[in-house]
Amino acid sequence: MVDLEFERRLERDFALAASFPDDVAFCRSVDARLNQDWVLRRWLIGAAGVTGGVIGASQLLMNNFIHRVEALSQGSSKVLEAGFSQLRPGVTLLGLVSSDVLVAWVAAGLAVVAIGFVLTRVIEEI
Amino acid sequence: MSGLESLTSHHDVDLANLAAAGDRRAFGELVRRHAAGVRSLLRRMGAAPSEADDVAQDTFLTAFESVSEFRGEGAFAGWVKKIAARLYIRRIRREKRLALLAAESAADEAPIKLTDAVTRMALDDALIQLPPGERMAVTLCYGAGMSHSEAAEVLNLPLGTVKSHVKRGLEKLKLRMTTPETNAASGRLAHG
Repeated sequence: MVDLEFERRLERDFALAASFPDDVAFCRSVDARLNQDWVLRRWLIGAAGVTGGVIGASQLLMNNFIHRVEALSQGSSKVLEAGFSQLRPGVTLLGLVSSDVLVAWVAAGLAVVAIGFVLTRVIEEI
Repeated sequence: MSGLESLTSHHDVDLANLAAAGDRRAFGELVRRHAAGVRSLLRRMGAAPSEADDVAQDTFLTAFESVSEFRGEGAFAGWVKKIAARLYIRRIRREKRLALLAAESAADEAPIKLTDAVTRMALDDALIQLPPGERMAVTLCYGAGMSHSEAAEVLNLPLGTVKSHVKRGLEKLKLRMTTPETNAASGRLAHG
């Protein structure tokens, strides 16, 4: 028969852990392995991103995507122009900007947003 | 540096929350606090020092991966010790050493004599003298905070066998860790 008092004492004794002389070295090794895993994971994510980007870009080029976007943007700008001219005849706002310039502006805006994401991520990592 | 100083004043639950958000420095502080406990537990379970350290490292890596699952309902020490115990048992199962634990007390085990308890023995010394199954069962239940059912599950042993291991192990530990005077006073001396 083992009494409760002994069981409590046993739990206390188990909870008491003597420190080891190499505690600091052990903690450093855990930290190093954590960092190693983290670096490896970032490389893998980066490599996957680059691969995906290359595949995506090649697909876009192969499908003549840019010409299609230009055609679409020209079509939509004409529709918009027509709409604006109906609203305010005599003022053709979009007529001041050609469709090619408009596409360039949209692309620049998206690039700024993308750079913003990248910078935020880099700052978080640092 | 001030960041590290401020981390030492955080509670384990706060550090775990920070670690779950990706703060590895916060997790480093948890490792610093609980490394000795985990390493001790593994050695008490029967692992050799180098093996205990390997498993302890894997334990903390696993804990970091799943720290978001720690809800702070129990102590972080208990949570991480359970991970360590499960990893160690998985390892010895892989190496087919687990069969030893199912065996009842060895027939040639030296009987415990009253004179063995004349000197009050420390837990670690007393644990070493237990058969592997009893040592493991007692350590899982009192060191890792597992219930008998949890211990039976991780050891893949019948519940009755685990209860028997724990009971016998406790009786032997009590005999070895308490002075004869204390035992006589309590009147509950286990003679094996």
